[in-house]
Amino acid sequence: MQLNRRKLLALLTGAAASPLLPATPPLFEEIPASQSGISWTHDNALSPSRFLPETMGPGVAFLDYDNDGWMDIFLVNSGPSDFFTPPKPLRNALYKNNRDGTFTDVTEKAGVGFGSFGMGCAVGDYNNDGFPDIFVTAYGRPILYKNNCDGTFTDVSEKVGLGAKIFENHWSTSAVWFDFDGDGRLDLFVCSFVAYGKDGLLSCGDNKLGVHFYCIPRVFKGTASLLFHNNGDGTFTEVGQGTDIAKSLGKSLGVVATDINNDGRMDLFVANDTVQNFLFVNRGPDATGKTRWEEMALAAEVGFSENGQARSGMGVDAADVDGDGWQDLFVANVDQEMFSLYKNNHNETFTDVAHQNQIAQATRLLSGWGLKFFDYDNDGFLDLFLANGHPDDMIENYSLQVKYKEPLVLFHNEAGKFVNVTATAGPAFTRNFPARGLAVGDFDNDGRVDVLIGNNGGAPLLLRNRTGQSNHWLGVKLVGTKANRDAVGAHLTWSAGGVKRARLKNNGGSYLSSHDPREVIGIGAASKLDYLEIRWPAPSGRVERFTDLPIDRYITIEEGKGLSK
Amino acid sequence: MFHFVPLIALFASCAVGQPPGQSSDAAPPELILKHAIELHQKGDLAGAVDEYRAYLKLRPNALDARSNLGAALARRGRYEDAIAEYQQALAIDRHNPGVIMNLGLAYYKTGRYTEATGQLASAHSLQPANNQVTMLLADAHLRLGNNTKVIELLRPLEKANQQDLGVAYMLGTALIRENQPAQGRILVERILKNGDSAEARMLLGATKLQAGDFAGARDDLQKATELNPQLPDVFSAYGSALLATGDTVAASAAFRKELDVNPNDFMSYLDLGVLEKQDQRYDEAMKKFRRAMELRPGDIGVRYQIATIYVLTGDVSAAQRELEAIIKDSPQFTEAHVSLATVYYRLKRKEDGDRERAIVQKLNADAQAREPGARTQP
Repeated sequence: MQLNRRKLLALLTGAAASPLLPATPPLFEEIPASQSGISWTHDNALSPSRFLPETMGPGVAFLDYDNDGWMDIFLVNSGPSDFFTPPKPLRNALYKNNRDGTFTDVTEKAGVGFGSFGMGCAVGDYNNDGFPDIFVTAYGRPILYKNNCDGTFTDVSEKVGLGAKIFENHWSTSAVWFDFDGDGRLDLFVCSFVAYGKDGLLSCGDNKLGVHFYCIPRVFKGTASLLFHNNGDGTFTEVGQGTDIAKSLGKSLGVVATDINNDGRMDLFVANDTVQNFLFVNRGPDATGKTRWEEMALAAEVGFSENGQARSGMGVDAADVDGDGWQDLFVANVDQEMFSLYKNNHNETFTDVAHQNQIAQATRLLSGWGLKFFDYDNDGFLDLFLANGHPDDMIENYSLQVKYKEPLVLFHNEAGKFVNVTATAGPAFTRNFPARGLAVGDFDNDGRVDVLIGNNGGAPLLLRNRTGQSNHWLGVKLVGTKANRDAVGAHLTWSAGGVKRARLKNNGGSYLSSHDPREVIGIGAASKLDYLEIRWPAPSGRVERFTDLPIDRYITIEEGKGLSK
Repeated sequence: MFHFVPLIALFASCAVGQPPGQSSDAAPPELILKHAIELHQKGDLAGAVDEYRAYLKLRPNALDARSNLGAALARRGRYEDAIAEYQQALAIDRHNPGVIMNLGLAYYKTGRYTEATGQLASAHSLQPANNQVTMLLADAHLRLGNNTKVIELLRPLEKANQQDLGVAYMLGTALIRENQPAQGRILVERILKNGDSAEARMLLGATKLQAGDFAGARDDLQKATELNPQLPDVFSAYGSALLATGDTVAASAAFRKELDVNPNDFMSYLDLGVLEKQDQRYDEAMKKFRRAMELRPGDIGVRYQIATIYVLTGDVSAAQRELEAIIKDSPQFTEAHVSLATVYYRLKRKEDGDRERAIVQKLNADAQAREPGARTQP
C-alpha cells in the first residue's frame, strides 16, 4: 500500500497515544514574531461607529524589493482618513529578509510607511527595470511606490497619472498588474468597492443590539473599477471608460488576471460583494485599437449562485486545478453562501464543482478572504489554502455557529480532486483568526512555498511550509525582455517522470495581496526534469525549451537568453 | 383541535341491532344503519364503515349515512376515501353545511389547503357564527401564508373572545408574519398571562425570527418544542431558526420532526428541499418540492426551486418552460430572470439571454435605488 503524506498523518493522528511514534510535524509551522522579528501589527482603527473600512484590511505581500533572491515582506496598515485620526502615527511595514528566517524592518529607509487608510497592495515591475514597484490601495488616496533600485521608493502616484483625483470616488481594494494589450508593459486593474464617505461618514445603521456594526454592504452603492494602461513612458491612462469595465457597477474586492479561453489574452475575474461577480473577457483590439472587454459572468455561470442570487464575493483565484489545460476559477463568499470552485468547460462557461470537492460543505459557516492555489507539497498538483474571518465583529451575538475569528482551511489536491486536510495540517489550523489578506511565497528558499496572512487588528501570521523533503522541485524566476519583465501571462510546460504538466503564470488572486513571483514546479518523486518549455507572453510569443535543468533549486530564465547565472 | 362530525347520532327509538360483525343483507336497512352508528360511537370504525356501506347499498341517496361513512373513513385516516364520500354527499345536497365543513376538514387534513379554504369559506358563509368553521378556515389560510385573510377572519372573533388563546395565537402569528410585531406582541402577552406555554414561546420565537434575532428565536422555539412537541409548526419554526444560525444539520432534523407530527407542513418540505438541493441530492430535493407544491399549488418560490433543479441537472428545456412561466406570473422575480438568462445562453440563444440579462441589471439597479441608504453619522 502506498501511503501519501496525508494518509500517513491520519494514521499517526489516530495512533497518537502510542509513545513509540515520533511527533508529527505540522504541514505549516507558525513562526512567532519573537523568531521572525516581525513585530508590526495591524491597527484596524476600531471605533464605536464601526466604519466599514475598519474591517476590510489588511493586505500583505511577498516581494523581493532589493532583488537579492530572497522574499521580503510588505504589510499594509490603516492610516488617517475622514473618519479616523490615529492617536499615534500608523505605518505600513517593509521587512527585509535576512536569509536566516529573520527579518529586519526597513520601512523608514525605504520610505513606504505612510499613506492614507491602507487596504492592500499589488507588486509589479511596471517600468521593467528589474525591481518590483508597489501599488498600495486605500480608502483614500492609493499610492504607487516606484522602486528606486537602491532600497528606497518614491511616491510617483500624481506624476504618473494615478493621483488622488482619478481615485476621488473610489475606495480601492485589490489590484493586479498584467499586460492586457500585449505591449510588453504591465498595466494595472484596480478594484473599486462601494461609494463611501463622499457625502458624509456612513454607517450601516444599528444592529439588533442597538449599536453600529459592520453590515453587509448592500445599502451602499456600487462603483466601477478602473483599468490603467501603461503608456511606456512611466505614466498611465485610465482606459476602462467606454468599455464594460466602466459600465459594470460593482462592489469589487478581489481580482485575478488569467486567460479563461486560452486565446493568449489575459482576462479578469472580479469578486463582488452583494452584486454579481464580473468576468471581463479580453476580446482584443477593436478597429481603433482599443481593447474590447466583454463582461460575461452571467453567461459563463460565475456571476451568481445557483439560486440566481448575487453573493458576497471577496477572495478569488484562478488555476488549472484538474490539469486539463484550462483555467478554473475560485471565489470565496460569506457564511451560508458557500465558496465556489468553477471548473472550466472549455467553452467560456463554468460548472461549480465545490460540492464534489468537499469545498462547499467545509465553507458553509466561513467567510473567505485571502486564498491561493499552490502546490504546497510539490507533488505536481495545485492545492488550496483558505484564510477566513467574519467581517462583523459582533456576529457571535446573533449566531452561535458563525464566529468572528475563523479557522484556516487547507485542501490537498489528489489527482484533480480536493481533499480537506485541515485536521492534519498543524496547530495553526486549530486556532481562529480574523484573517483578511493572504500571500504565498518561499521566504526561506527551500522550495516549499510558505504563507503569510494579514489579520484584521492584529499581528500577521507567518507560516513556514514544513512538508516533507521527499518531493523534488524547481523554482523558476522568469525575466521577460520583449514580454513584460515579470512574465505575467507566460505559459510553462514541463515533463518529469513521464508526466507532462502545464501552468499559466496568472497574477493577482487572493485578497488585497501580492505573491512571490517565482513559479515553483513540483515534480514529485521524479529525480529529474525531462524538459521545461516557456511560451513567453505577447508581444514576444517566443517558445523556448530547456533540458538538463537542475532540480531542488531556484533558477532564473531570461527571455531569449536562457538561464542566468 | 378540529373533529369530523357525524351528522346523525344514535337513534334512541331504533330497535337493538345485531351484534357487531353480524350484519346481514337480510336485516332491515334501518337496523343496519343503527348498528353502524353504534359501532361508530364505540370506536369500531372498520365495522362502522362496513355497515354504512351495507346500508348505502340499499339507500344510496342517504345523505347522513354517506356523510357518516366519510367521517368514519376520515377517522381511520382514509382521507381520500372520505373526500369521495363527502363529494357524493354534496351531490345529494350541495348546501349541507355539515358536509361542506367535513369535506373542508378532510382537505385540510390531507394538506390540500387551497381546496380546504374553498369548502370552508362556503361553510363560513353559510354559518358565519360558527367559530369552529372560522377558526379552521383561518388556520388553513395561515398555512397557505394568506396572513391578511387570517387577520380579516380573526380580528372580529378576537374582540369577542379575549380569553381564547387559540384565536390569539393564530392572529398573533399572522400579524407577526405581516410585519406588525407590535400588534402581535399584545397577543403574545395575553398568552403569557396564562403562564409559560408552547404557544407563547412559539409566538415569541416567531417575533424574534422576523426581527432577525436568530439566536433568541432559536432559544424560544427550542423551549416551545419541549413544552409541546405536537404543536403544529413548532419544529418547522425551530428549524428555520436553526437554519438562520447556521446549524443546517439540526435544522434538517427539526424539519423532519415537524413532518413526523405534521406531514403537511409546507415550510418543512420547502426548507428540507433547499438543504437537499444544496447537498446536490436533487432527487430527494425534487420530491420535497413536489410535495410542497401539492400543499401550495402554484407557489412561485417552489416552482423556482424546481426550475433550478432542472437547470442544475441539465434539463434545459424543462427549465426554460418552467422559468418562462414563472416570470410571466412574476415579472419582477430577479432570480428567475438570472436563471432564464443562463438557460438561454446554454441554448445558444444569445439575444434572449442578453435581454434577460438586461432585465436582471435593471431589476438590481432598481433594488439598489430602493435601499434605504446609508445613514450619515452625526
